[in-house]
Amino acid sequence: MDDILIKTENLTYTYEGEPALRGISLSFRRGEFAVILGHNGSGKSTFAKTLNALNIPGGGKVWVDGLDTSVEANIPRIRSTVGMVFQNPDNQLVASIVEDDVAFGCENTGVDPSEIRGRVDSALEAVRMGAFKTHAAHQLSGGQKQRVAIAGAIAARPKCIVLDESTAMLDPRGRAEVLEVAHRLNKEMGITIILITHHMREAIDADRVIVFADGFVLADGTPREVFVNAEILDEAGLGVPDTVRLCGELGLPANALNIDECANQVIGAVKAGGLDTAYDTRSTEPAPLSSVWCGDCVLETKALKHLYSPDTPFETEALKGIDFKLRRGIFAGIIGHTGSGKSTFIQHLNGLLKPSSGRVLLNAEDIWHGGKIMPGVRGKVGLVFQYPEYQLFEETCAKDIAFGPRNLKLPENAIAERVAEAAAFVGLKPDLLDKSPFSLSGGEKRRAAIAGVIAMRPDVLILDEPTAGLDPYGSKFILENLREYQLAAGCTLVLVTHTMEEIAEYADIVYVFNNGDIEFDGTKETIFAHAERLREIGLDIPEVTQIVLRLREMGLPITPSVYTVKKAAEEIKRYIKC
Amino acid sequence: MLKNVTLGQYFPGSSIIHRLDPRTKLILTLVYIVVLFLCTGPSGYAICLIALCVCIGISQIKPKLILRGMKPLIIVIVITGLLNIFYTRGETVLLSFWVLTVTAEGIRNAVFMTLRILMLVSGTFLMTYTTSPLALTDAMESLMNPLKKLKMPVHELSMMMSIALRFIPTLIEETDKIMSAQKARGADFESGNLLQKAKALLPLLIPLFISAFRRADELAVAMEARGYHGGEGRTKMKQLRYMSCDAAAFTAGAVFAAAVIITRFLPV
Repeated sequence: MDDILIKTENLTYTYEGEPALRGISLSFRRGEFAVILGHNGSGKSTFAKTLNALNIPGGGKVWVDGLDTSVEANIPRIRSTVGMVFQNPDNQLVASIVEDDVAFGCENTGVDPSEIRGRVDSALEAVRMGAFKTHAAHQLSGGQKQRVAIAGAIAARPKCIVLDESTAMLDPRGRAEVLEVAHRLNKEMGITIILITHHMREAIDADRVIVFADGFVLADGTPREVFVNAEILDEAGLGVPDTVRLCGELGLPANALNIDECANQVIGAVKAGGLDTAYDTRSTEPAPLSSVWCGDCVLETKALKHLYSPDTPFETEALKGIDFKLRRGIFAGIIGHTGSGKSTFIQHLNGLLKPSSGRVLLNAEDIWHGGKIMPGVRGKVGLVFQYPEYQLFEETCAKDIAFGPRNLKLPENAIAERVAEAAAFVGLKPDLLDKSPFSLSGGEKRRAAIAGVIAMRPDVLILDEPTAGLDPYGSKFILENLREYQLAAGCTLVLVTHTMEEIAEYADIVYVFNNGDIEFDGTKETIFAHAERLREIGLDIPEVTQIVLRLREMGLPITPSVYTVKKAAEEIKRYIKC
Repeated sequence: MLKNVTLGQYFPGSSIIHRLDPRTKLILTLVYIVVLFLCTGPSGYAICLIALCVCIGISQIKPKLILRGMKPLIIVIVITGLLNIFYTRGETVLLSFWVLTVTAEGIRNAVFMTLRILMLVSGTFLMTYTTSPLALTDAMESLMNPLKKLKMPVHELSMMMSIALRFIPTLIEETDKIMSAQKARGADFESGNLLQKAKALLPLLIPLFISAFRRADELAVAMEARGYHGGEGRTKMKQLRYMSCDAAAFTAGAVFAAAVIITRFLPV
């Protein structure tokens, strides 16, 4: 039997007049775990769809298990050979009940009913979703939905599964679940996996990494071979893993792929130079937790409680009496896993939700004074929801951004001024303002939507996961702009996220949410010193902090409150004799 | 607000009602509805009510859930009741003011009509709560199978139905989200006259439609990727088969229908 499962030869594809793929020749071995990395618009998803004949090559050829995808008669066999799992968990489940959905593929190909049942059960077991067989699909978490989608693919007994950005919309927990399943299917069932993503970390355990940029293959090799080439990754708008960056900063060989390798390299370098502990005069104990100092509070909550579906059997206490103080003019971060209550909490801050008990104070005034909402509170506390681009509706970007100011009943010239100002803050080019928001790229849409809230000139701007689903370059662009905006406008900014690296890079003060309450709050130094507790409540600490903690375990008395590559390099350099 | 709508939601369970063949449930629900309209007096309604309560009891569905689902219908029920009170002509006038007269017949009619609507809705809720939407559409497809010979797109219709049911909760959630997002931008959905209110809905409806189309598009691609090519040559994991409990249910249904029809000939 041929060792090659999928082969493309000089594959080209044109999408709405634009060339999306410009001559791609790749082959995938049976049993391989390959990761395709690329920025948004690099052609990686277009490529994925050519692998099971959803896209027919514009030029060149694709063979799947020896079958030419451009021959119509081959399509049913190709689709049962290559299963696909897509990005949006909600838009690929066909049936309302988990097991019915898993059966869908088998039913389409006319598998005997008595056999389908067995296949469905074993597929659900393979993704550890057996217990959810008869559950309603829409009630599952994102990660669970994606595992059901994978089960649906497995039930059709494919030789290869393509995961087309299937982790992009998931939280860290869901992402880890999906990756674990993908690796296990690859090892235990020998299924070829082609994982498409823009998360560098997901590529580290793969057999092979292929980097796409502008419809070309930029690099192809083992993770080690690809990741040491920082220039290539920069060119692809992806950035380098932190482990590699740290080694680079220290002048060590930049080929460490995981925390252990990186820590070993550092320790090796330290030992080679003779352990120098002369600088170790500070305490290495974690600093005690301090509550956030509050001189001038812009927002405050007192014993804030929220019940969902009160007085029904479904009653749940989403917020358990939160005391929260937000100092004016800072960049604050709220972090917590899905279901920790953070989204419910922020909707109280602008009065979208009414507390079941407790108070919300804006500039020391109760926003629910006398049971009625304070007028204008939604203009003063701006809230940008997750995936805000889904709320765009006007004919042009300018009109859409003007929606908020117009609701504030401002005069036309003031509105125009604010639109221009907000667009500039988010880095939206003026010529885009007259275009339809629906013609913009994903990142531009997101920025237009954020501008729509900034244009209201809020005292406090709260953003719920503003970078969800964006590639590293797009995420950085938005966060940098937000920081500039916060400094220039002098407003208070609250970033809600589950990405620790974002908190580490940008936030002054951090609030950690867990289980409907604030577990702890304080500066980054104090928060990240409690790495163990953060891990216990399902949050990842930044990769650099993990490296530093490993170094401490290995005997290097370095301070654990390190959360950026630069700071880590500085700290480590104290122990390396030059 | 929208989260309270439970129309078309399925609550999995293992009661006899849950395990009945969906075709049985569909046919018996139809029988029940027809019989409800055959009721002429209190004894007929009493039998229907008892039958309904017994079924709800067996199904182990909490009556609260059924009542909650009826909330959005309150206005319809109240209006029907009022219209019947005021517009039924009768002989025994109880009350008369201005142009309105209330007669004993009117009150009787109003009570029966509201009861009829309430029972009709609870009966159908019981069916949708105990039958997965997919099973229900399977049942429809199977019952309508003879129509395929008349070139009716039976499979396509049932597929559309089941997808619609699958996406109702998703779209409701999305409506809630977009509404909150626009409210955060100062949108006001509550005040103003009817025209202003309708206009205020645009920022909600446009994103909702766009999202629905995007979802439809992505779902179509996902279905194609999973080898969907229409009803031809398709098999089904869950095949419908009548069991002994279905026979029992049909018997019970027949007895029930006969009992109600007999009440038509009784003096009360």
